[in-house]
Amino acid sequence: MSDSQTENSLAQESSLENPSPAGGGAIVATPPAGGRPRRRGVSWRERLEITVLSGPAIIVFIGFVILPVILAAYYGFFRWKGYGRPTDFVGLHNYVVILQDPEFRAALEHNLYILVLSLIIQGPIAILLALLLNRKMRGRSIIRVLIFVPWVVSEVIAGTGFSLMLSTQGAINDLLRNVGLGHFTADWLSDPNIALWALMGILTWKYIGFAVILFMAGMQNIPEELSEAAAIDGAGYWQIQRRITLPLLGPTIRIWAFLSIIGALQLFDLVYIIWGQYVAGTAGVSTMVTYMVQYGRNAGNYGYGSAVAVVVFFISLIVALGYQRFVLRRDTEGALTDGGKK
Amino acid sequence: MAATTLEPTAAVPLKRRKSVEDGGWGSPTTYFVALVVVALTLAPVAYIVLGGFRTNSQITTNPAAFPNPWKLDNYLEVLKSSTFWQQFFNSAIAALATTVGVVVLGVMASYVLARYHFRGRGAMFALFASGLMFPITVAITPLYLVIKDLGLLDNLLGVILPQIAFALPTTVIILVPFLRAIPREIEEAATVDGCSRLGFFGRMVIPLSLPGVLTVGILAFVGSWNSYLLPLFILNNQEHFTLTLGVQAFSSQYSTDTAKVLAFTSLSMIPALVFFSLFERRIVSGLGGAVKG
Amino acid sequence: MTRKFRAAALVALGASAALAMTACSGGSDNGGNGGSTNDTTKPVTMTLWTNATTGPGAKFFEDTAAAFTQAHPNVTIKIQTVQNEDLDGKLQTALQAGQGTAPDIFLQRGGGKMAAMVDAGQLMDISDSVSADTKASVGAGAFAAEQVEGKTYAMPVDVLPGGFWYSDTLFKKAGITTPPTTIDELNQAVTKLKAANITPIALGAKDAWPAAHWYYWFALRECSQDTLNSTAKTLKFDDECWTKAGNDLKTFADTKPFNNGFLNTSAQQGAGSSAGQVANHKAATELMGAWDPGQIAALTPDQKPLPDLKFTPFIQVPGGKGDPKAIMGGVDGYSCSAWAPKPACTDFLNYLTTKDVQVAYYKAFQAPPVNKDAQAAVTDPIIKATIDAFNQAPYVSQWLDTLYGQNVGNALNTAVVNLLAGKGSVDDIVKSVNNAADKG
Repeated sequence: MSDSQTENSLAQESSLENPSPAGGGAIVATPPAGGRPRRRGVSWRERLEITVLSGPAIIVFIGFVILPVILAAYYGFFRWKGYGRPTDFVGLHNYVVILQDPEFRAALEHNLYILVLSLIIQGPIAILLALLLNRKMRGRSIIRVLIFVPWVVSEVIAGTGFSLMLSTQGAINDLLRNVGLGHFTADWLSDPNIALWALMGILTWKYIGFAVILFMAGMQNIPEELSEAAAIDGAGYWQIQRRITLPLLGPTIRIWAFLSIIGALQLFDLVYIIWGQYVAGTAGVSTMVTYMVQYGRNAGNYGYGSAVAVVVFFISLIVALGYQRFVLRRDTEGALTDGGKK
Repeated sequence: MAATTLEPTAAVPLKRRKSVEDGGWGSPTTYFVALVVVALTLAPVAYIVLGGFRTNSQITTNPAAFPNPWKLDNYLEVLKSSTFWQQFFNSAIAALATTVGVVVLGVMASYVLARYHFRGRGAMFALFASGLMFPITVAITPLYLVIKDLGLLDNLLGVILPQIAFALPTTVIILVPFLRAIPREIEEAATVDGCSRLGFFGRMVIPLSLPGVLTVGILAFVGSWNSYLLPLFILNNQEHFTLTLGVQAFSSQYSTDTAKVLAFTSLSMIPALVFFSLFERRIVSGLGGAVKG
Repeated sequence: MTRKFRAAALVALGASAALAMTACSGGSDNGGNGGSTNDTTKPVTMTLWTNATTGPGAKFFEDTAAAFTQAHPNVTIKIQTVQNEDLDGKLQTALQAGQGTAPDIFLQRGGGKMAAMVDAGQLMDISDSVSADTKASVGAGAFAAEQVEGKTYAMPVDVLPGGFWYSDTLFKKAGITTPPTTIDELNQAVTKLKAANITPIALGAKDAWPAAHWYYWFALRECSQDTLNSTAKTLKFDDECWTKAGNDLKTFADTKPFNNGFLNTSAQQGAGSSAGQVANHKAATELMGAWDPGQIAALTPDQKPLPDLKFTPFIQVPGGKGDPKAIMGGVDGYSCSAWAPKPACTDFLNYLTTKDVQVAYYKAFQAPPVNKDAQAAVTDPIIKATIDAFNQAPYVSQWLDTLYGQNVGNALNTAVVNLLAGKGSVDDIVKSVNNAADKG
């Protein structure tokens, strides 16, 4: 590389050194103001480096993820019991059945409820908690660890525990009766009016820790000088949070929301373990993936199940692309699609 | 927004509240709220742990009660059984190997995506990101055939390699912005000093990105520790089982010994928790790196 | 594509089966022949997959394998236990991968699953390898459950007829002196139990199949034997008996005989399950298969069999076209994979059904053995009662979801749960079954 190029980039990258007001959470560095004048070609040496560095990951990924996924999608064009080779080619028939099945539509609806409710419930609570816990106070470390515990516990364990606690003859109802609040007992799991809220409670329990940690991490990137200066100017703690921290936390919140959305669309384990595939439908908490397992693998319809998986994939992809385009665009340089603007 | 210029403040009396900024005690409200949150968070876990001290009959007849009498057998049996420790060992190997694999492959790939500019970059990123969007329960049957063709059935490697592959999407998504954030000056300076791109990678990138690396490492470890579906299908021989499969021993053909399952799962939670709390501080700063510019 | 399997041929005569079999067996001894390797001295290793993961069941297989290898020194048997819920999925993938990964001997559920395996060429046809002794001592009814188009693909090892398992103490407490035999008596019993503040019937509807079993039993009473068989071919519930059965179920369910929160009660998953409720005298009875006593025993306070547990067959329904004494049940069997070594594999299967091994099986699993001589050696009164009911039945049907295949079974499960949850109607049951063919 020539010296002039070095100087150029040094000058332009200097903006990275200053903590800019946008430092609260852009996922990708914003391009330097002047843009890059040169077009670097990719030298053969660089090509070699790229191959060597990314090769192993790509091979492993394609071999163990992409290949099976493509095969699975291929099965979606067949009626197949899972034994022997698939021979009954039905083209798009499975997809037609899926899209017309009222149970699938119900499951999709539930996924959307869960998606929206997750954002509405977990977001504010996590932000509040993060704000509370961001102060340097004693015990902060321990509290953070404890709040994160639910996330570390496996979904199978959590599901087993909540099954026992929330069943009609389970611990929660028993506790309510023991302390005299007997008439608050309810059918937490199978009452369609309550079940979704029970699920939201469980999801909040499991994933709030992750959100809190994410937000706290985002807050740590907000330079302290800002809040100190505001404090000197006489602003109180909560004023500072509202005027400075929250806006700067915007990008972090948007990233968290993205992960939350994809997670909501792919939700399976907790619902399956706690409700079981059948009652999930009647209780109004079935998801697209529980539908997939119920009418696919568990019914011996491997072709149909694969088709459902492809449908879930496309729905997730559309949502992801849409989100990235309309929401993340101003934060990122296209972290998901073409990131090669530099 | 407050001005960013700061004058030396020595002459100005500081009116900040001492309590918060000096690492002292927070307000009682804060602690109260934190206490409530922690209690809600831990209650279900406590239920699981206490459940291990009861019998199935106790759980059925008195769901919300404390163990009465306390039955230590469940926990003791688990701790004494050599199968538990063997499975523990298998889980540990699988988790550590997965973590190392994820970190090494993930950092290399993320480095390429973050700092090289080539035409296929967006496509490569999209390739990894798309891995998040397909429900894995369906891919398991063809994946099994792939593993069988590689001759890795009933082998921990047959579990480790796919786990690395499945962990790559999240890893890449977290690490790429992190690696991008390493200032170009350092890279340019290193080049000027005669260091090759790869040398820069080895000597500077890895230490600088350690927090991010630790973050994805912990995510990979916990993910591997808790994984169930993959080991279930790949591992046949009981000697190769991981801890998550160990619960099978407490479920017979027609029944499940719930109390023993609770004891077993409580014990198997511990390593993941310990691992996490050891590196908790790093996670926070690691994620901080991922979300900053 | 409908499954044209003839597993429906399982409908066989119980008592006269032995006579028929001795007539048919004709003295041909096919044990140990008919395979490609007749060399009995070459070392052979076989893997066996079973869902008996713990306790006496697991030990039974270890002991039996050991005894067999003692008698056949060139054979080694490796046992792998897989948890019941996971076995089917794992087996399916292992069979898919074929030779080398597929186990040689494995638990066979029968019905649609077995038919699919046969279609894919993954099972060994053992029709010619069943020994004369086995044919003599095991009823045709049990064998019929393991046959497709007249060929045998698995060796039956136990029969698990279904019925009511009830607590005598609780019944007496409510003033019920004899167990109910008709639907009216059942309704009266429910009323009496409720009056005595006892939950009448435990139901593990979370797993759906226990609820579907109620429907299957009503269908067994309402539908004629021929209807049951012909439906296996068409997989359509066109006969009106199916709707009648649904109405029976709805009427019965409307009397609210089940435990509180039955929709989130599991059938067998330990504490809190329907079996657990019966075990702890929180409910008086449940409708289950013959595995129930063993299961209940594991969940009692002292983890010993419930002393006052008794068995009574399913009640009669007036006007039904089915025989009031017909019984429904499962048959557990073991298959050889298509790649398993002969004759070692078939020898082992035959060994499993010899009298001594069957007696050991009964003792380990507390389940009725198929071998009639072993049946005579059963001492447990409950199991004797189930064996008697089984042998006196004019015909035996397998569980309908086994018979009609997973796809229909799944649809039935869903529809019955919907009915009991108040979300679906009786017509929906028929509709959902008829629509199931769309998905597979």
